Amino acid sequence: MKPRERVLTALKRGQPDKVPWIENDIEEEMQVRIMGGRTDYTPGELCRALGLDGFGYHFPSGQRASDGQSIQTTGKTGKEAWYYPQRITFDFVPPWIAEMGTDPSNGRTYVKQGLLTGRESLELFDRFLPDPDHPARYEKVAEWIEKYREDFAVFARIRLGGASTFESMGLDAFSIMMYDDPDLVKEIHRRFSEWSARVVQHLNKMDFDFIWANDDHADTKMPWVSIEMWEEFMKPYQMMVAREIKKPWIFHSDGNLFPLLDGLITLGMNGIHPVQPSAMDINRLKEQYGDRLCIVGNIDLDYTLPRGTEAEVEAEVRDRIEKVGKGGGYMISSGNSITDYCKLENVWAMSRAINAYRTYR
Amino acid sequence: MSEAIAAIKDWVIKGKKNEAVAATRAALAAGVDPGAIMKDGLIAAMSVVGQKYSSGEFFLPQMMIAARAMTEVVPVLKPHLVGKAAESKGKAVIGTVQGDFHDIGKNIVRMMMEGAGYEVIDLGVDVTADKFVEAVRKETPQFVLMSALITLTMESMRRTIAAIDAAGLRSSVRIGVGGAPLTHKYAEEIGADFYSEDAYECVQACNRLVH
Repeated sequence: MKPRERVLTALKRGQPDKVPWIENDIEEEMQVRIMGGRTDYTPGELCRALGLDGFGYHFPSGQRASDGQSIQTTGKTGKEAWYYPQRITFDFVPPWIAEMGTDPSNGRTYVKQGLLTGRESLELFDRFLPDPDHPARYEKVAEWIEKYREDFAVFARIRLGGASTFESMGLDAFSIMMYDDPDLVKEIHRRFSEWSARVVQHLNKMDFDFIWANDDHADTKMPWVSIEMWEEFMKPYQMMVAREIKKPWIFHSDGNLFPLLDGLITLGMNGIHPVQPSAMDINRLKEQYGDRLCIVGNIDLDYTLPRGTEAEVEAEVRDRIEKVGKGGGYMISSGNSITDYCKLENVWAMSRAINAYRTYR
Repeated sequence: MSEAIAAIKDWVIKGKKNEAVAATRAALAAGVDPGAIMKDGLIAAMSVVGQKYSSGEFFLPQMMIAARAMTEVVPVLKPHLVGKAAESKGKAVIGTVQGDFHDIGKNIVRMMMEGAGYEVIDLGVDVTADKFVEAVRKETPQFVLMSALITLTMESMRRTIAAIDAAGLRSSVRIGVGGAPLTHKYAEEIGADFYSEDAYECVQACNRLVH
């Protein structure tokens, strides 16, 4: 099987020839280390080096995804930076409407404070949200897909609007407004989701193989909202986006999703990621939801990849392939992404182990 | 517990700030002991909220509005508190360690600690070892509470504990750590006094140590 077919088979919960390996993100600094310091490689070269079956996200010769989320901090360029990406990216996430900070040690941006805290702040949508129908970004990314896709599965990352709402309001304001002004929370979610739904209509026409919706809803202990709250405040808007997706798609949220999963699954996703080992028991997930969801992830990013030994990485990979990969419907992946703080030797150990054990016999 | 205090407690658990404030004013006017309102009304309410959060019955929004209700009641009550009841249970310096910008977990702990009657000095995110040392010197807290979400920044906890030690302040504080990648084993290894899996557990640990 070609990598693309392998991924699409697993996403439909089938059993391909090999367990596919796919990552939601590989941080650029790590990509460069994997490629021996080069920055001029193609996405396909990175995939071949490791044995990955597909790509999306962004590359060092491309604009960082984080820039797309923090365009408000880039002042004059603003929306233009979204319309005209200068370097390779496959991301279609809306900006956080938030005050951003930058980690001086690595330039990574982070949300300091959400700015959507009251009705008067709704005007910020007009200021910061790019026109989802502007053709430039779609045209440029279409060129990159055509140029780099080879036989790999190519995905676009989007948001359903949940993470955008949490981060752009801040969890404090989000929580308080659920009681003080519930319609405001709904309106903010609706606006983000409406934007993403429009974006998805364009993505459907492009040569992406699948969509990856990144919307954190939980911490390791539990979701931030109950299923009843999710159904009232979030589901109607997330469904607006989900209904538009005409390709297979994966839902991503860190943390423990079990209390929300029966609700989330009604959105109709094909896969669930990243099944963070400290938050979710993947064997329980496979047993309870394996007949409805392709499971993606679970190689530990809290300990094994950044601090464990190569032998521990190998043991974990082998265990997941043997137990969760059995019968198909599983794609191996880190329990979030390959971050720049993983040990390089462990990334190679992961690659070796996957390639050694992944073939279905 | 008097009916008036039970009502205040109930309003705080439900996060009904206006009702909680009104019930507190009425209780004070009726001569109910302000110290008892604080202990059996407010602190007891936040303890229930913490338990409910810890057990998965309450979620973040419910905890947030309960904490807000308590915050609204405290200024009404404070002028009436005298002697020991007016004192905080203890002081804690809290922060997300250097290199880490995640503050959700830290904020939940701060809220629960305040709800339990502690004075909390929040140093924010990306807090260097030096900033923690400076705060311990200046604030003389009983507790230093450190949070980290990503593995990379856990080592900042070790460095912070070493810096507090090097400054000769280690014996004056109890140090607690928490966050997704943390474990009891790691907390022990870096010389922390305790690890808490969640905010409620952190409050419980502080309560045990403060007595």
